[in-house]
Amino acid sequence: MKKLVKNEKLCTACGACQRICSQTYFKEDNKEKSAIGIKAEDSGTTIIACSQCGECIDLCPAEAIYRDQKGVVRIKNSICVGCFSCVGFCPEGAMFYHGDYTEPFKCTACGLCVKECPSGAITIQG
Amino acid sequence: MTVSKLKESHKLLAEYKYVPAKVDKGYTNKSLYVNLSGNKIKAKEVTAMMKEKFIGGRGFGLWYLWNAVTPQTKWNDPENEIIISPGPVAGITQYPGAGKSLVVTLSPNTQTVVDSNVGGYFGPLLKFSGWDALEVQGKAENDVVIFIDGSEGVVRVEEAPEEAVDSHLLAEQLTELYADCEEDKRNISVVSAGTAADNTMLGMLNFSFYDPRRKTVRLKQAGRGGIGTVLRDKKIKGIVVKFKGLKGNLNNPADFAKIVNTGVKLHKEINRLDDYQNRMRHNGTTFLAGIMNDYDLLPTCNFKFGSHPEGEKIAAPNWVKMFDAGKADGCWYGCTLACSKVVCGFELKTGPYKGQKVVVDGPEYETIAGVGSNCGIFDRDYILECNFYCDTYGIDTISFGTTTAFIMECYENGIINKEITGGLELNFGSKEAAMELLHQMARGEGFGKIAGLGIKRLKEIFVREYGADAGFLNDIGMEAKGLEYAEYVSKESLVQQAGFGLANKGPQHDEAWLIFMDMVNNQLPTFEDKAEALHYFPMFRTWLGLVGLCKLPWNDIVPESNKDTEEPAKIIEHVQNYVDLFNAVTGQNIDIDGMIRQSEGVYQFQRVFNLRMGFGTREYDKVPYRSMGPVTVEEYQSRQERYDGQLKELLGIDPEGKSTEEKIKLLRKYREEQYEKITDAVYERRGWTKNGVPKLETLQKFGMDFPELVELVKQHQ
Amino acid sequence: MIKVNGREFPWEEGLTVKKLLQKKNYTFPSIVVKINDRTIAEDEYADALIEDGDDVKVIHLITGG
Repeated sequence: MKKLVKNEKLCTACGACQRICSQTYFKEDNKEKSAIGIKAEDSGTTIIACSQCGECIDLCPAEAIYRDQKGVVRIKNSICVGCFSCVGFCPEGAMFYHGDYTEPFKCTACGLCVKECPSGAITIQG
Repeated sequence: MTVSKLKESHKLLAEYKYVPAKVDKGYTNKSLYVNLSGNKIKAKEVTAMMKEKFIGGRGFGLWYLWNAVTPQTKWNDPENEIIISPGPVAGITQYPGAGKSLVVTLSPNTQTVVDSNVGGYFGPLLKFSGWDALEVQGKAENDVVIFIDGSEGVVRVEEAPEEAVDSHLLAEQLTELYADCEEDKRNISVVSAGTAADNTMLGMLNFSFYDPRRKTVRLKQAGRGGIGTVLRDKKIKGIVVKFKGLKGNLNNPADFAKIVNTGVKLHKEINRLDDYQNRMRHNGTTFLAGIMNDYDLLPTCNFKFGSHPEGEKIAAPNWVKMFDAGKADGCWYGCTLACSKVVCGFELKTGPYKGQKVVVDGPEYETIAGVGSNCGIFDRDYILECNFYCDTYGIDTISFGTTTAFIMECYENGIINKEITGGLELNFGSKEAAMELLHQMARGEGFGKIAGLGIKRLKEIFVREYGADAGFLNDIGMEAKGLEYAEYVSKESLVQQAGFGLANKGPQHDEAWLIFMDMVNNQLPTFEDKAEALHYFPMFRTWLGLVGLCKLPWNDIVPESNKDTEEPAKIIEHVQNYVDLFNAVTGQNIDIDGMIRQSEGVYQFQRVFNLRMGFGTREYDKVPYRSMGPVTVEEYQSRQERYDGQLKELLGIDPEGKSTEEKIKLLRKYREEQYEKITDAVYERRGWTKNGVPKLETLQKFGMDFPELVELVKQHQ
Repeated sequence: MIKVNGREFPWEEGLTVKKLLQKKNYTFPSIVVKINDRTIAEDEYADALIEDGDDVKVIHLITGG
């Protein structure tokens, strides 16, 4: 199963991953539109990204979420009805949404952010 | 018969092509009018006045019906209408419980206006097809289907002679018939009734939605008031809507982001808390059965008692084992409370579909209590079978249950006997006889044909034909205004007695359910407190039916911070969510007071509507004594300690040495006086005269001073 | 004697919130318990002792079937 793996101890919260993610998928440099989240707190940095667990698949009333051949959980936007149930029930808090869009978005383990990350805090497995 | 054969048998009676109106801030500003006498179809404008004063949903239904009928119109006159309207908020997918339709008609049970709310996809798909409401008037000559295709922009009335009438078959057939392919089935919703709606006054409407995971059509019910009977009287087999291309923003709301944020907040709350609260995602509404039994509120043997030693058998854990529970069991998209539970592969033991394995939607709490405990039956298989047949036959499980319970008590008291029932031994607990009674209702045969008239008419027949004591029947016949009671024992809560008795449409709990606040929590000590609760809660809950929302996500999930709020019973955070949703969809800027005010206008209008139809005064707000206290010695003695204690504490009467009959009489006098006092207090709070008629100034205050209404109430000031 | 939701109820030695809820058969899951206006957390029910004369509130958060 292809997925993003994180090593939070190495994360410097520079935001490079979020920039490339939002630029690639939404043509905008806006961390609110990134499928990877960074929470920097005194106790340490948390990286929020989909673990491809698939909890959202059975939860979707439109059957718009599926697992592809590589094991990546994906959203079929054409039949998504934008209810955001998946956002509320994601165990990782890694299903994202933005008021500008009618569908949620998530990490598809594309790996673009991994190339941008200067500290090696994220890698792609599988 | 194959679907293509069914299709071939259809004969086009009328066709109307239209360009579907785009939804603008929750409204299409158009409604669809179909008259089956003469097959006329046309569009009507939804006016600014309608939106301002009637909001949508139930409000639109009331307005259209008022204009369609006269004080002389009967439920089975062609002028009577069935109006289905979803409301401006309905159809959003982001907030749980946002797919409701409200149905309004003149009821065969109450002879006046009735409203019933229902899930399923029909309302939202109707709106996205370009219509804020559907108004059906007239009567067809032969069975018809009304088909609304919002993607193609066409409405058709087609004669449909060959389809089944029973809903579990008909809804599948029509879904199959109008869908282009398997994927298209989710775009279709069917409104239908069944064969018992043909032959009884207790008919209800099924609203379907397609369940793609289980590959089956599911049914939700607009149960109350006999609307299915009206549908079949109009010779409507089904009303079908089809709309492709559902997305989350089709209401074209003023502030989409606000709706999304409010929805996600509640999804997260449900995810975090439902497992520790009512477990709706696992139990559906069945969780109530055990709770009601524990608090002596579960109707047992025609509301004689509130609990039963076998009550555990019908409590939630036993149902959960039978459910084919999924994670997306909503009756509209985005409902993460997911209470639409289902039993799959249930093998029927009786009736025309005996031996077949079927899907049973539910059971809901009301069904469990109505057809189960209230009839003295604690057999889960019976409850499921009865649930299935009620649904497919198009009969309301509440009215069927309460009516059967009444018949059973009459049977046990010798008021009716085996000769009269045609051999059915209708004692409490006789599940075989009860099931046969239901099948007879569907066939329109035997005692079932009489039973299907409902309690109010049965009382008259039993007095007239069999010399029954009218006083006793009025005490134990659990109907008010002609509608059978919903399934809660209200004896120990004066507020709930009035909540049932003063409800506009009859004793249904969707206006007010205040038993715990009153009886258990003791939070409403004075008559002012009680009247205030009987003002706020009915108005708030009426509002949900104006905009197209479900009541359950209001208080079947409660945020953590609620316990620290000033009035925890109101769940104010969720009320604010609703205000936010309404404003975000419509672009208006109301607050909670404004929300209550919107309801109040419509509520007053409905009260005057009852007056116009010859009801709506104090005498019609009377309730049977069974809903207020112990009618019989058996009932009194079963809770003697409680009642003796009340005589002592509340009346200062020493119960020692008094016969049970004497004590019943004393308690009754007290309780009936209390009911009159609360009636006075509520009338006062609602701005009504002592006779229960809205005062002129009340109508003016809420902008409901239309000349016709003013004229009417003036005669009663 | 104690008061439960404003009504008298017999007190006994060692009465805890948990025992009181059992005695009253209060099984509804969404409740708020207060002893003399102090809110008791759910995980304290087993240990929270009720004294003779206490004013106990067990508010059920349901206003709708």
